[in-house]
Amino acid sequence: MKIEIKNLKKKFNENFVLKDISLTLEKNKSTIILGESGCGKSVLIKTIYKLFGFDSGSILYDGKSEVDIDKFSMLFQYGALFDSLKISENIAFTDFINNKTNFERKVHSLMNDVGLNKSIFNRYPSELSGGMKKRVALARALYKNPKVIFLDEPTTGLDPINSDKINDLILKVVAKRKITAVTITHDIKSAIKTGDKYYFIDNGIIQDNGDCKKILKTKNKIFKSFISGAKY
Amino acid sequence: MKLIENIGKFLIKLFSSFGKFILFILFFFKYLFKPKFYLKNNLSYFVNIFISSIPIIALTGIFSGMVLALQSYTGFSRFSAESAIPNIVVLTLTRELGPVLTGLMISARVGSSIAAEIATMRVTEQIDALKTLNTNYYNYLVTPRVLSLTLALPIFVTLVDFIGVMGGYIVSVHRLGFNDNLYLLNTIDFLSLGDYLSGIFKAFTFGFIISIVSCYCGLFSDKGAFGVGSATTNAVVISSVLILSSNYFLTELFF
Repeated sequence: MKIEIKNLKKKFNENFVLKDISLTLEKNKSTIILGESGCGKSVLIKTIYKLFGFDSGSILYDGKSEVDIDKFSMLFQYGALFDSLKISENIAFTDFINNKTNFERKVHSLMNDVGLNKSIFNRYPSELSGGMKKRVALARALYKNPKVIFLDEPTTGLDPINSDKINDLILKVVAKRKITAVTITHDIKSAIKTGDKYYFIDNGIIQDNGDCKKILKTKNKIFKSFISGAKY
Repeated sequence: MKLIENIGKFLIKLFSSFGKFILFILFFFKYLFKPKFYLKNNLSYFVNIFISSIPIIALTGIFSGMVLALQSYTGFSRFSAESAIPNIVVLTLTRELGPVLTGLMISARVGSSIAAEIATMRVTEQIDALKTLNTNYYNYLVTPRVLSLTLALPIFVTLVDFIGVMGGYIVSVHRLGFNDNLYLLNTIDFLSLGDYLSGIFKAFTFGFIISIVSCYCGLFSDKGAFGVGSATTNAVVISSVLILSSNYFLTELFF
């Protein structure tokens, strides 16, 4: 699915978080959204997902303003797993709460895809490490076979080795399932590895965009400062 | 000028919160009569509330009845009306103390837990996750809690009434020297179905108040640990104030 955003504005209590955002999320490509904490990246993807409304501008999904959000999935920053449910019930959440019982095979197959051991099938989220929780959350996001997957800082809170494993996993599942991926990250290394195109947001507007493989060659001063960690 | 501005801001916030709360109740009823109704979720929540609240309910009932018998004796013995103690104990418990004390205890026990749980779900983005999984949080979170508590409170009040009367009986017979058969006969003869039902009607109302207020406070809490703490405190304080104030109007209704 191709998503086109034009002149998007969104405010909370009179403060504009998104001042004028225009970008295109290409079909079956991986787009990376970069920016400082609090610059509105999460608000942007939640607005695209229709979890929030917006004040002005337009979002077109394959040319239409309406979309069935069942085609979307999201991996939340800290997993957002349901504490009171087992891992299998978390992954197959919609089937589980609708009393469907034949989800075991699909869950096992997804657990295998994201590199989870079957032994955690009946365990609870509180018993898992951060990396495992992210994998479970990714399996849950993939359960409904989405056309677009939104990944909100998938490597946050993970050590470099686990971050790299999660990045490999994202690359693998996005390529295998041919889905459009939108990833929020602060991590330049992850952006270069997993993305096709990047957008850098600062102060509610797009400051820079381009090919992820050429991130380090950017000429934008603000983005350069962001990459180097220097104050601008 | 600053004072007037602050008062104005406070009033706007107060009225907008009130309006939001009314809309929340209307949405609850809207989704109550719409699919999906998660029966398994509703039943398990009811059982959970029921089992976890029984000990606190039993303690509330027994001590209320015992204290009521002792205090009634202190007053009534001054004008030789001790024989009215069984009547006073059963009437006060079924019409007044049973529903109000149970409401206040359940607001502290269950209301706080509902608000804290939902506020934590909000802080950890689990509410957003529900939306992304195409699950209406009214159906999944609010309806089971409101229905369970609204239906459980009348059962709790019946238990408190019964245990409270037994508490009064124990104190009256073993401490104040009442005849055991006479005490029970006086209790049963004096109690009318109307007395019991007025308490049950209050229980339904209080159950609804506690659950809907707690769900609202949890769902619209501020972010962070402070938000969870305030949601929990607000749920208990607002529920308790609403129970005590609505109790007056309900008592007028059945007067």
